[in-house]
Amino acid sequence: MADTPQTAPAPAGQVPVTVLTGYLGAGKTTLLNRILSENHGRKYAVVVNEFGELGIDNDLVLDTDEEVFEMNNGCICCTVRGDLIRIVGGLMKRRGTFDGIIIETTGLANPAPVAQTFFVDEDVRAKTRLDAIVTVVDAKHLPQRLEDSHEAADQIAFADVIVLNKTDLVTPEELEEVESRIRAINRFAKIHRTTRASLPIGEVLDQGAFDLNRILAERPDFLADDSHEHNDDVRSVSFELEQPIDPEKFNAWISGLLAMQGQDLLRTKGILAYKNDDRRFAFQAVHMIADGDFIGPWREGEPRVSRLVFIGRNLNRPLLRRGFEACVAS
Amino acid sequence: MSATETGLAAADALLQERGVWRNLEAYVGGVAFAGSAAAFAFGDGTLRLIDLADRQEWRTIEAHDGAALSLAGGPFFVSGGDDGKLQRIAADGTLTNVASFGSKWVEHVAITAAGGKPLIAAAVGKAVHLFDASGEKLKELAHPSTVTGVVFDAKGKRVCASHYNGSSLWFVGAKTDTPRVMEWKGSHIGIVVSPDGDCVVTAMQENALHGWRLSDSQHMRMSGYPAKTRAMGFTRNGKWLATSGAESVVVWPFFGGGPMGKAPTELAGGDEGVLCTMLACHPQQEMVAAGFSDGLVVLADIGTSRVLPVAAPGRGSVSALGWNADGSHLAFGTEDGFAAVIDLSKKS
Repeated sequence: MADTPQTAPAPAGQVPVTVLTGYLGAGKTTLLNRILSENHGRKYAVVVNEFGELGIDNDLVLDTDEEVFEMNNGCICCTVRGDLIRIVGGLMKRRGTFDGIIIETTGLANPAPVAQTFFVDEDVRAKTRLDAIVTVVDAKHLPQRLEDSHEAADQIAFADVIVLNKTDLVTPEELEEVESRIRAINRFAKIHRTTRASLPIGEVLDQGAFDLNRILAERPDFLADDSHEHNDDVRSVSFELEQPIDPEKFNAWISGLLAMQGQDLLRTKGILAYKNDDRRFAFQAVHMIADGDFIGPWREGEPRVSRLVFIGRNLNRPLLRRGFEACVAS
Repeated sequence: MSATETGLAAADALLQERGVWRNLEAYVGGVAFAGSAAAFAFGDGTLRLIDLADRQEWRTIEAHDGAALSLAGGPFFVSGGDDGKLQRIAADGTLTNVASFGSKWVEHVAITAAGGKPLIAAAVGKAVHLFDASGEKLKELAHPSTVTGVVFDAKGKRVCASHYNGSSLWFVGAKTDTPRVMEWKGSHIGIVVSPDGDCVVTAMQENALHGWRLSDSQHMRMSGYPAKTRAMGFTRNGKWLATSGAESVVVWPFFGGGPMGKAPTELAGGDEGVLCTMLACHPQQEMVAAGFSDGLVVLADIGTSRVLPVAAPGRGSVSALGWNADGSHLAFGTEDGFAAVIDLSKKS
């Protein structure tokens, strides 16, 4: 199979980081071995928790204990991975000897602390950039996992790329069913159906999913919301506004919302058209931690539509819509 | 010559007139002195050894297969690497493996010779391992989470480690190992002990310092830094604690009731956005050498706030800096691989 990597080198200075999540047995290690054994001429530093499962001899495999701690910054859900801060600091001393970092989390891990580490720690931010969260799920066992635990839904909700693996173990009907359950949680991730985690690595690496310049670059399908869910189920909602936005109103609203409901809001992304401004404003948040900046100008003839998406729990669609609509510039 | 060029040339005068240097293209992770030798630890796993009497020869020691993460000096050098190795290097360059920890990194090392017999401490994961000078293992001290800094007190009686939610203080000669645990919630990322052994100060993830006075269990909190404090040190007399992590060298008074309720002294503050990244107090005088993120290195006198430049900016963010035991030589290195030793002794 011609797995030609469709990848470009990372910009100098900032090392791309891919986070690999998924339940034990879903196929994370298989995918990792596939990435490392691919003849792409690049070297990855790999951070794992269960050392010894890798079939590849790589001198940059680091084994770590996940050490999650709360930041003392008044933000209750702001947890980070202390071990990753240290590891990134150490890896930077041997920079030039590797091209990217892949972090494999434990099966039960909530991806939030990993993602937040790349937003919160200034040293980590200066040296690396979070590229994407890739979640491997087992087509056969996912429905059961979703019943068992919050973590399975969290891992799907956080994902930019979902590798729907072991599709050979289910019927076409079951596969459709499991994919629609994934879509109900996260309507915006790319889903790849695989057996033995086989897919071109270009679909996993160099996604730029946290790059503000690429936020919502591919317009997600803005289907009518399926609202027959329980409130504590994770789901996605999205909004569009054609009228220009008042930046001050939007800032006040979104900051208040993240402060109040940040624990429920797993990921938030937006592209905004501010009044009297030719530049697009891009915005993203992981729980309460937000990041935003102006990116390039709106293209000639491109409709200046503001778009906002939320993935989380207890999402009150009418209330969110009214809040967003109140940000329209007068 | 323009005014700026004159300024830069003046800022570089001490390096040019009294220094020797190399551009080695690998991250300088540590600098230390042992006897009449200086050593640098590099991100490519090598050490460079320089004899202070003849500074022309820089000997390369292949110490680690990976990056050298930590380096300490005393009667000899020890280095730790991301290859899991703890190495002992004599001042003549003889390399001996003290221990191998497999896939775990040897992130922090310390040496003391104050108690008579030299001791080596190495922080590996959640443990601090103690060895004697011959490399024989004396103790393995367990902590609740990864150790992020290790230091001996001035008398060599205690070894202190920082970790999550506080620090642990161990008597190295104790028959049963029970630490005195100093608690404070959060991630502590480095540690120092005052020369009299009464104050323990840690750097924290949230750009602040926390301290404990052991005699009365008083807590101290020193905040307001724009970045993490990666380097700190007490002056020899224990009056001042100099710290990095701000746009100047921030020096806290540890006398007259301080640091509680006192403002720190700020030295060598200059350009906005240029942070002090490394520093080391002179081993005898109330003076601190400091390195900045633009590559500038200065000496600052605490009493008079006078600043004397050592090296001009432009060679990479300063990532290692240290004095030899009598304070006659200063060495520093940068993230870009510039390494220099400067002779500051009085010329006869």
